[in-house]
Amino acid sequence: MIKNKSFSLLNIAGLSIGLAIVILVAIWISFEVSYDQFHENKTRIYEVNNQELVDGDIWTWNSTPKIMASVIKKDYPEVENTVRYFDEISFLFSIGDKKIKTSGTIVDEDFLKVFSFPLLEGDKTRALNGVNSVVITQDLANKLFDKDNPIGQVLKIDNTDTFTITGVLKDLPQNTDFKFDFLLPWSYLVQKGWNEVNWSNNCITTYAKLKAGVDYSRFSNKIKNLRKKYDKASPEMVTYLYPFSRTHLYSEFENGVETGGKIDTIRIIGFIAFIILIIACINFMNLSTAQSEKRSKEVGIRKVAGAKRNMLVFQFLGESMLITFIAAIVAFLIVLLVLPSFSAFTNTSLSLNVSNNWFWLFVIGIILFTGLLAGSYPALYLSGFKPSSILKKTFNKVNALITPRKVLVVVQFSIAIILVTATLTIRQQMEKVQNRQSGYSKDNLVYINIEGDIEKNYSLIKNELLAANIATSVTKTSAPLTEGWSNSWDFTWKGKDPNNKTLVQRFVADEAIIKTAGLKLITGRDFDLNMYPTDSSAVIINEAAVKLMGFKTPIGQIIKDNGMDWHVIGVVKDFVLQSPFQDVAPMVIEGAKGFFNVIHVKFATIHTLSENLSKTETIFKRFNSEYPFDYQFIDKAYAKKFDDLKKMENLVSILTLLTIIISCLGLFGLASYMAQNRTKEIGVRKILGASISHISYLLTKEFLKPIIVAFIVGFPLAWHFMNRWLETFTYRITMSWWVFAISAFLILCIASVTVSYQSMKAAITNPANSLRAE
Amino acid sequence: MIKITDLEKYYKTDELQTIALNKLSFEVKEGEFVAIMGPSGCGKSTLLNILGMLDDSDGGSFIFNGEEVIDYNERKRANIRKHNIGFVFQSFNLIDQLSVFENVELPLIYTGVKKGERKKRVEEVLEKMQIMHRRKHFPQQLSGGQQQRVAVARAVVNNPKLILADEPTGNLDSSNGNEVMDLLTELNSQGTTIVMVTHSEHDAKFTHRIIRMLDGQKVAENTLV
Repeated sequence: MIKNKSFSLLNIAGLSIGLAIVILVAIWISFEVSYDQFHENKTRIYEVNNQELVDGDIWTWNSTPKIMASVIKKDYPEVENTVRYFDEISFLFSIGDKKIKTSGTIVDEDFLKVFSFPLLEGDKTRALNGVNSVVITQDLANKLFDKDNPIGQVLKIDNTDTFTITGVLKDLPQNTDFKFDFLLPWSYLVQKGWNEVNWSNNCITTYAKLKAGVDYSRFSNKIKNLRKKYDKASPEMVTYLYPFSRTHLYSEFENGVETGGKIDTIRIIGFIAFIILIIACINFMNLSTAQSEKRSKEVGIRKVAGAKRNMLVFQFLGESMLITFIAAIVAFLIVLLVLPSFSAFTNTSLSLNVSNNWFWLFVIGIILFTGLLAGSYPALYLSGFKPSSILKKTFNKVNALITPRKVLVVVQFSIAIILVTATLTIRQQMEKVQNRQSGYSKDNLVYINIEGDIEKNYSLIKNELLAANIATSVTKTSAPLTEGWSNSWDFTWKGKDPNNKTLVQRFVADEAIIKTAGLKLITGRDFDLNMYPTDSSAVIINEAAVKLMGFKTPIGQIIKDNGMDWHVIGVVKDFVLQSPFQDVAPMVIEGAKGFFNVIHVKFATIHTLSENLSKTETIFKRFNSEYPFDYQFIDKAYAKKFDDLKKMENLVSILTLLTIIISCLGLFGLASYMAQNRTKEIGVRKILGASISHISYLLTKEFLKPIIVAFIVGFPLAWHFMNRWLETFTYRITMSWWVFAISAFLILCIASVTVSYQSMKAAITNPANSLRAE
Repeated sequence: MIKITDLEKYYKTDELQTIALNKLSFEVKEGEFVAIMGPSGCGKSTLLNILGMLDDSDGGSFIFNGEEVIDYNERKRANIRKHNIGFVFQSFNLIDQLSVFENVELPLIYTGVKKGERKKRVEEVLEKMQIMHRRKHFPQQLSGGQQQRVAVARAVVNNPKLILADEPTGNLDSSNGNEVMDLLTELNSQGTTIVMVTHSEHDAKFTHRIIRMLDGQKVAENTLV
């Protein structure tokens, strides 16, 4: 090992990068897999799901009517308990002068009995019993009360209702899908009159805890037709239980069948990490066998001296184990160094849990695996030399067309080419979607959530913003322009096929939506309540809706929704409301009779943005003094839609780069051994008149051949994988030949540069020297 | 054909400088067959490398075919070498990955001879060396004598004016050795100049003249014909 310093260094470098990646990815995977596994009752908790046949497809979703929980608990003795979980809601908490806006949820009183979120203060069996009880996290408690004891303290929520703190929760761990700073009791919801008792509004999550020993699939089958008894509108809808412990990693369904979820990403990343480790092992195998000529003499002598084959196998495996062990130490240093940035990158708080026995078991396992895998082929190959062949030097089948070494290089570079193609394809798809016309003007456009007194003072706020030339246009809407919060297949229009269950986006705006959002009007006009008071029951639709509804002259057509007639006054060009990766869905923008959540303000350009913001803040503070002024830029909100893909692009790029680096380390080592082995040949060729360029071409060519084969293997695979990936987007690129051409060119350049250093070095050596060495 | 005057060559390491050739002078006429003899380390191989333009000298003059080549760069020397000089080595130096035919063809490729012409010339020379039947074999499949015949075939395929032979029989038994010496003698009789380094007095007897060296210097010269 010490004798072959460069060989050992290349191996340690490659293996330590490979091991570091595997360890990092393993830490991340163990974090993802641990999501919500800390609940004591996790094996007995189930999410109540629904399925319905829509247009020949089985749809699956996990929100239920509020009444579901009580029905299941009442009708089925198998159920020990049920708890409901409302959506995340935002409230202003105030105590004295201190005001904090924070988000939490409303849950049934047994929530803390079913789920294991420990209370630092208070009694979990009673904490949520009172209508005006509230349980808060330690973090929120610290913010509200510093070091004072929060239990029994009284605070106001949204300046209206008074609550007493009955419990302080230990801060939620990072590995839970529940996100809340406070829990309010369901009885509060009942008191507010929000607990409608019907089967049509599927809007909350229901969890059922089964009694010990109940077979969930049998029970699931039992409740299948529950709706037939209660739900007159959708008796065919199927009710079933889905294991809570699977919700984080799975819970994606296609046609009623669980198809995966986050587990897919984990599998892909885990697979790539494993492949990188394999590539590093391949380097080891290649470099070891390339050295065979040097080691063969040693093997011959040992064998003649009486060494048995298995002794030699152990010797070579021992060497690879030692190298792997050193690489593992280097890998640990890399992991320690990189873990904070990797954590930030994956949006998690990962840590090296050295006190965990499983972790060490994994590390030892991976070292053993790597050492054995890397050492296996060289050990068997080298120990198999026959002393007689070594003496005759016939063991080296120099003319073999396919050698295991070439096959290994082909495998390495096939993987590299797949990854390079993947990186380029993801990048291209990203660019295509980022350059997609959103269909509205995002500049100088902000939105503010309607809360506190904003609704009450809306007209005043709007008038001031317009009068002070801060805004050119102000519009109230049901949701931000970057999000669709409501959709339905219940819209009807003249001539609609009753079986047509196409989802239509429902958006609401009071006035001037086209002006505020900068939408492109195709026909008709914008909402204008001053000129046309009936615009409160008017709708503007998009082109996709015109197509769906088959309107030849859309203006004046009637669309029914929620029992109301809406008349069409305008058609706008399709714009991206939700995902820029998908086609624009049909959309109906209803007039002022709808429900509003958000105000959009289009700033005037006569002032600077910061002036506009500070003046807007002043106005909002005046009319909504209890709440902090909170706003979002539409362009930033839009850009966020690309975060996930951007992250994936970065991750694949990094992994690709590392794969190429490790592969090239191997190629470099291999080239140097090849050049050494061919010293005599190069010398002879030079004496016979070969030029330097001819020699370097000769040597480089030798290495490019397996890489060309790798293209033949890698390209169809890359084409297949990337097309499957692209199919997940409806707005997507088609893969073009030049992506492959660029990938091939890149890999060839990198490989040539790697090999040509050794080739050139060999080519410029004085032939007299190389022959003298013979 | 060759005239060297006061030729010098040193090998330097960190600690010491060894003199390989010490103001060596002699001449080889066209058509001559000259043997260079001397104990190991006397500078024979160094001399052969310089004569073959594989190595630089550190001083003196080297006139080849009437041209002073001592200051020529690598490219010029390679050009002279590939058109004028053939090499025969003690260890044959055949390329294991190439067949007999391909080994012999190599010099013709590097001098830019067309494919058809190459085939003709390689076959001619293989015929002459009586190894035509082995043309598809690889060096490892041949005996030592056969390998050296291939090496000689390769050395002469370009019709060089000069053949430099470095102990051509050193790795052969006496009968194979004699065959190779007969081949060289025949080539010489057809006009090729040959300079041969050898330890073997027996082989030296095939030549016209023996130059004896010691410590990088010429110490004696015997004319045999």
